[in-house]
Amino acid sequence: MIIVDGLTKSFGNATILNNISQEISDGERLVVIGPSGSGKSTFLRCLNLLEQPTGGRILVDDVDITAKKTDINAIRRKMGMVFQHFNLFPHKTVLGNLTLAPVQTGLMKKDEAEKTAMQLLNRVGLADKADAYPVQLSGGQKQRVAIARSLAMRPRIMLFDEPTSALDPEMVGEVLDVMRDLAKEGMTMVVVTHEMHFARDVGSRVLFMCDGVIAEQGTPQEVFENPQCARLQQFLNSISF
Amino acid sequence: MLLTFLATSPTTWSERLSFEIERGLLRYDRWQSLLNGLGVTLQVALGAVLLGVTIGLLLALMRISKFKILKAISATYLSIIRGTPVTLQLLIWWFVVFVPTGLSQLWVAIIAFGVNSGAYVCEIFRGGILAVDKGQTEAGRSLGLSGGKTLGYIVLPQALKNALPSLGNEFIMLIKETSIVGFIGMVDLTRAANMINSRTFAPFVPLISAGILYWGIITILTWLLGSLERRLRKSDNR
Repeated sequence: MIIVDGLTKSFGNATILNNISQEISDGERLVVIGPSGSGKSTFLRCLNLLEQPTGGRILVDDVDITAKKTDINAIRRKMGMVFQHFNLFPHKTVLGNLTLAPVQTGLMKKDEAEKTAMQLLNRVGLADKADAYPVQLSGGQKQRVAIARSLAMRPRIMLFDEPTSALDPEMVGEVLDVMRDLAKEGMTMVVVTHEMHFARDVGSRVLFMCDGVIAEQGTPQEVFENPQCARLQQFLNSISF
Repeated sequence: MLLTFLATSPTTWSERLSFEIERGLLRYDRWQSLLNGLGVTLQVALGAVLLGVTIGLLLALMRISKFKILKAISATYLSIIRGTPVTLQLLIWWFVVFVPTGLSQLWVAIIAFGVNSGAYVCEIFRGGILAVDKGQTEAGRSLGLSGGKTLGYIVLPQALKNALPSLGNEFIMLIKETSIVGFIGMVDLTRAANMINSRTFAPFVPLISAGILYWGIITILTWLLGSLERRLRKSDNR
């Protein structure tokens, strides 16, 4: 469970996140939508402290991760993150990408890590690419490897930062399918996305962020069928889906 | 003297050349002193490369660290070393710093060139590190790897690959820079060649031979670096 309490982030004079409070319970699939620059990515990146909040607290399983003495590496091992631009390690093979962190953090021995990695690659349909280098993969394949790489640490929470925004349209589906499978298995997920179909089908709750605050939230049905605030109505009208 | 030289010297250019080779390289086994000089050059260069890479990596890590004091130390080092000529630095190490210790010329030369090269290697590494996408660090850290392991297993291997061409250039320059060790009385390849020249008054053969030897060594090094680079670029092949 993640509790966000009065989260604020500012760069100089610009306030990106303004006093955000949220509770994300286990098994929830929280989808964050909103116009660009609304702070959704920053919100997500604060959850595993890739961005350091300037105010407020974030509790992950009752541990305050913003506290100085917290071992943030241990917290991050429980939270996988998938990036818009994949960020695969180009000097490692696909298998090497998956085994590096489990081995180096001491989570698994090398042979166990390789076995787990092959299972995960099977699951995302890329077992035959184990010895390929990232540069040899398509965008969709890269992102599936990136998801598998995060899963290799056996996280309990997965954070997705616009995972399909950098993909060619025909590759979006294969990545969303993997994410749907994860959702079915009960993984706790926080997804920043522009895929409104995905948000509606998979999300258990939708947050609409605008100008650094959560302007509206609710079930997908409430948010998409019956938007209350003018900004959300405008946002939904302006995108085609 | 010139007249006697002309009078006794052979007439055709090939006879002249073989005469000079005999006098400049074969007589009194003078080629041996060239090879000894080459050995000295290689010892100084190899020692300095190892020291320079170590110092350079350390300085680069200090420069990108978040500790102001480490940044300042690194910046000061770079400023002093890059702001003065290497010949002067060599003389200072030999005549000022190490004079009471009795440290041998070889070690003083290795230290002088290593310390000098470190400043340049630092900037080469720093450039290589900065060229690695920030997302790589974020990916590593998001998986729960420590900052040190992220640097060691993810950033530095890629940085080294980025830096290799410039690093090779630095090694090549370093080998040639060592030709000034004659200033502290060492007999390296350049000095050995010039000593033959001053004994025989026939500069052509010893100096050109030295040039060929430098060129040969650097050609081999270039080839080695090239094959290392091709190996590291394996992951770039589509």
